[in-house]
Amino acid sequence: MPICLADYTRLDRKLTPSKPGGKPSHQRKSRRLLVGLAFIGPNLTGFLVFTLTPLVISFAFAFSNWDLHLHNIFRNEPLVFVGLDHFRELFSHPEFLQFFGNTLFLMMGIPFAIAGSLGAALLLSSPIKRRPGWNLMPLGVAGVVLVASLSVLTLTGFQLPGLMLLFVFLFIAILAGGMMSGMTVYRTLFYTPHFTAGVATYVLWKKLYDPQTGPINSVLSPVLEGVASTVTSLPPAIFSWGSILLLVGAAELLRRFVRSGLRSWYAGESGWLALFVTAVLGSIVCIFVLRWSEGWAGGWIPVAGFLAGLWVRPESRPDRAGRNPLDHGLGVALMLGLLTVVAVMTLYGISSLSRVLPTMAVDGLEPPLWLADYHWAKPSIMIMALWAAIGSNNMILYLAGLSNIPSELYEAASMDGASGRQRFWFVTWPQLAPVTFFIFIMSIIQGLQGGFEMARTMTKGGPAGATTTLSYFVYIEGFETGRLGFASSVAWALFALVFAVTALNFKFGSRYTND
Amino acid sequence: MTETAKEKTEAMIHRVPGQGRWTLLHALLAALGLIMMTPFVWMVLTSLKPLSEIGAAWWVPKVWQWSNYKEVFSVIPFGRFFWNSLLIAGWVTFLQVLTSSMAAFSFARLNWPGRDRVFLLYLGTMMLPGLVMLIPNFQLMVRLGLVDTMPGLILPAAFSAFGTFLMRQFMLTIPRSLDEAAEIDGASKWRLYWEVILPLSRPGLITLTIFTFMGNYHSFFWPLVMLRSVERYTLPIGLLFFDSERGQSTHLLMAAVTMSVAPLILLFVFLQRYLVRGIMLGGVKG
Repeated sequence: MPICLADYTRLDRKLTPSKPGGKPSHQRKSRRLLVGLAFIGPNLTGFLVFTLTPLVISFAFAFSNWDLHLHNIFRNEPLVFVGLDHFRELFSHPEFLQFFGNTLFLMMGIPFAIAGSLGAALLLSSPIKRRPGWNLMPLGVAGVVLVASLSVLTLTGFQLPGLMLLFVFLFIAILAGGMMSGMTVYRTLFYTPHFTAGVATYVLWKKLYDPQTGPINSVLSPVLEGVASTVTSLPPAIFSWGSILLLVGAAELLRRFVRSGLRSWYAGESGWLALFVTAVLGSIVCIFVLRWSEGWAGGWIPVAGFLAGLWVRPESRPDRAGRNPLDHGLGVALMLGLLTVVAVMTLYGISSLSRVLPTMAVDGLEPPLWLADYHWAKPSIMIMALWAAIGSNNMILYLAGLSNIPSELYEAASMDGASGRQRFWFVTWPQLAPVTFFIFIMSIIQGLQGGFEMARTMTKGGPAGATTTLSYFVYIEGFETGRLGFASSVAWALFALVFAVTALNFKFGSRYTND
Repeated sequence: MTETAKEKTEAMIHRVPGQGRWTLLHALLAALGLIMMTPFVWMVLTSLKPLSEIGAAWWVPKVWQWSNYKEVFSVIPFGRFFWNSLLIAGWVTFLQVLTSSMAAFSFARLNWPGRDRVFLLYLGTMMLPGLVMLIPNFQLMVRLGLVDTMPGLILPAAFSAFGTFLMRQFMLTIPRSLDEAAEIDGASKWRLYWEVILPLSRPGLITLTIFTFMGNYHSFFWPLVMLRSVERYTLPIGLLFFDSERGQSTHLLMAAVTMSVAPLILLFVFLQRYLVRGIMLGGVKG
């Protein structure tokens, strides 16, 4: 369910206090129990039958050889307790690891979605109220313009210029609507992809991605032709320098991340665990980049950034660091670290693309096959997910968060002469930290369970298992192969992951959410 | 705060944009909105094309073939699918709102031994991936003979811990003095629930209704494994099989997609303020 957004982070630790008063008599007590149970009864019954019992059964069957090939109406072999066999099989199962990797790969879209939601919320929260004196007229004008433009289009050309004309007119229409009624129009437009996300929109995107008849490639091919001819006419040195520049950007990001981690440790804001996480995530990126670059010297540039970040002169006495609680600042370090990992990897990807672009352009650039291509299938799904995620509940949560920031903070910042950028980084961003943390955790939990609907409607998990996620794997094993015991164990492995994230959130998230 | 003071603060926060900045802001927002809308624009335009124009570089049909929409109904029982979806989502929503609000009343307003422990149990299961329960639930349906029936689709979805949690959060914001007043007037607990608390939780009820209805209108996994016969297909399942069987007639497919998306957009336009409120209530408290 894309819409249900439960609140897992601030589960009330203190439940409603019971009414003070003397000890009630036994009879009254049982009467109260009866009334309470009468109200909760219908829900509790359903809960017991459809949630709690299946849960217990599922757990039990995860350790059994329940298989529809062995246990059906024609054949009834005894149910055997197999212990941890399924879980052992999981970790030696080459496909399971691939599917787990797919799930994680798709989750790399999360930072982009969060950044997009924040950006949209920031734009929407700026003072875009309609100007005084505006009335319904712009909408009327927009309507007339739209109708007129469509009739002009029908009468004249239909090719690419016509398409551009269509977009210009739509743009004007949206603009007029937005100027007239302010935020509501934009919010509706942004939120619609999320609200309608389901099989219908997946089918729509499948058609959009169609390599032969889809509009994406029919727009992209002429554009790519133009790009190819431009690239071949430019000296190739530009691209190798561009690729190195991007790597330097990645190195700078890594440097900043490592430096900020070290600094906050020195300053006594974070403990050993945060430092450890920073070091581990930073070195993971370095190792990946070195492996991908396959001996190309440019791969060392981000590593240099990492090392440069280590060189920090402590601003305060480092012996204070020893007195920190072990887990201080871990949540921030994890979040920043994961964001850095994704950003650096993206920059590296673009950089290596620009390195090979001149050689590719000689033969002409072809648009990708999208969902039908092993390497493009996951990015295709990520793009679609991003489209649906920017204007989602996260945007609404950010909007609420932004409106809750006390204006005194901005006033103080303005008086200190903070620029717009500084106001964002020193007021808005820290103030939104609880919201960001909540969104981040929820996205991870949803991401771990996600991908089933897209896989089933768009790709059937293919090509070659490229888009099979854990949840789709459970579906295949449980409902197509019929290995119910094994499928249950996959589901429980998934549960263990989700539980780990939730537990982490409980342990470290309270600092950000219970302010 | 007076109007001018408020404006002043806003000016402090955002630096009141000049004409140029204001226009730029709107241009950015409109551009983003256009990107979001583009797939839908293509969808609607394609749904009006004749088959011969599918895959053509132009988006606006040369011949506007409105009969595509009529044809969808003869190719697939679209009305049937739509009705099934409405029926299932409607029943689930009705049952869920009723049982959730009753349970929430019990958690938020009544005081009975063991209440908090039961509530913790509810909260605990909210974190579970629904996937874990699917296989045993399906086997249960097999045993009960409810596979490929409407009750089989409705019942497992009709009781939710999330709905209970949401309604409880809402009911906690209603002042307790009302309960006492009702008690002094001699109202029973049922009357307190039905005539005091429930009417006051109307915004919360509407929110839960939208959430539940939407979730079940989109519901895919459970109907996919439960449904066998075409006359019981819901809209998502119907669309899926339409796509896999007659996927080449893109114009009809897009007409069907348009017809299944349009009611949602309308619903959102009218109910968005409740939705926004519900998201904030279920998420980070404001």
